[in-house]
Amino acid sequence: MTNVSTMGKATTIKKTFSRETTIRQIIQSDASIIWSLLTNAADFARWNSTIISIEGDIELGKKIKLKSVLDPKRTFKLKIKTLISEQQLVWGDAMGNRTYTLQSTDNGQVLFEMTEKIGGLMFPLFASQIPSFDASFEQFASDLKQEAETIFNATA
Amino acid sequence: MTNAAFNTEFEKIRPQLKSYVLRMTAGVQDSEDIVQDTWMKASQKLATFEGKSTLKTWIFAIASNLSLDLLRKKKRWPENVTDICRTEAYKDPANYQAMMQVVQTSPYAKFEIKEHIAFCFTCISKSLPLEQHLCLLLKEVYDFKIKEIAIILNTTTPLVKYHLHTARAKMIEIFDGRCAIINKKGVCHQCTEMNGFFNPKQNSQAELMKIKMVKVAQKADKQELLNLRMDVLKGLDPFSSGAHELELHNLEFNRKTIEKYLEKNQ
Repeated sequence: MTNVSTMGKATTIKKTFSRETTIRQIIQSDASIIWSLLTNAADFARWNSTIISIEGDIELGKKIKLKSVLDPKRTFKLKIKTLISEQQLVWGDAMGNRTYTLQSTDNGQVLFEMTEKIGGLMFPLFASQIPSFDASFEQFASDLKQEAETIFNATA
Repeated sequence: MTNAAFNTEFEKIRPQLKSYVLRMTAGVQDSEDIVQDTWMKASQKLATFEGKSTLKTWIFAIASNLSLDLLRKKKRWPENVTDICRTEAYKDPANYQAMMQVVQTSPYAKFEIKEHIAFCFTCISKSLPLEQHLCLLLKEVYDFKIKEIAIILNTTTPLVKYHLHTARAKMIEIFDGRCAIINKKGVCHQCTEMNGFFNPKQNSQAELMKIKMVKVAQKADKQELLNLRMDVLKGLDPFSSGAHELELHNLEFNRKTIEKYLEKNQ
């Protein structure tokens, strides 16, 4: 079933063995700018208030160490699983995947979608301990939109 | 365009081109070689120049490509390059003697704080990713438009905007954290320290206040301070300024020091 969310508003679907949060955002920018922002690990924390730091290179097959505002004491070790330039980035671990998708629209905008699906057989045991991603997703999408549009609108 | 007309135009562009290549490579010999190779390549390919861009843009594109070929083989410099080189300079009596010889024998070695600000920028900007470094220099120091930079670097205007924006943000962050002349909490005092050494009779504070960036440091925003810092670079030709022989000596020392450092810390 497709998870339809309104622009900039996160939605979460909870199931017994998984949880999936999605946000979509229209960004008036160029896909190459958004892609560059999403794949420059060292620069992430500058524009994205939900990220404390990302160490490593966002390159296919490589691992990154991510610290998030949502759980500052934890370092997530994530593998870059998919990297299709200006289209799709997936990183994740055994618990789940975060997928970023870019789609250029006919009117010169970009539809950004971010989904995180976590789950597994043991998921019901610790589901209640995992905080909601909704607010963090909304902040992420808002920060990305602002940064990408600021760059795009810079004058020559 | 005839060869004679090309040569005339090239000579007009040469000083800016040489300064651009020096600020990219931080190598005096590299800049001489690349400018010469640019002339040679452009002369050979003159028939292919269609006038779709200005000749200057076309020549800068050739020089940028030649420089990129060289720089892609090398590591970028660390942000604290000036700290590393300062420590090494104190440990190196031979460099001290060589530097003092330049100061005593050259009419172009009178230390000036503003020249050291430009020198410092050249060193620190080499910590930026390559594309960001080139976009920043081309736009902010050599006054190319974003469209022209896209032609020079064979990329798109959105990506030039991205590199430029990110480069500016990074340089602001570095200088805000380091530079004591714009931020009281800054940790680097090298320009005033060196002024005290080379010009002991000068009041360094009074000298600093002659520089607009320093004068407005408490009032101006960070973007404006970066613009003013890059204005200092714009106003100086690193091959003909009043202290260029001293600064080029120091740049060579820093380049060799950092290349050794990077080799050792690989």
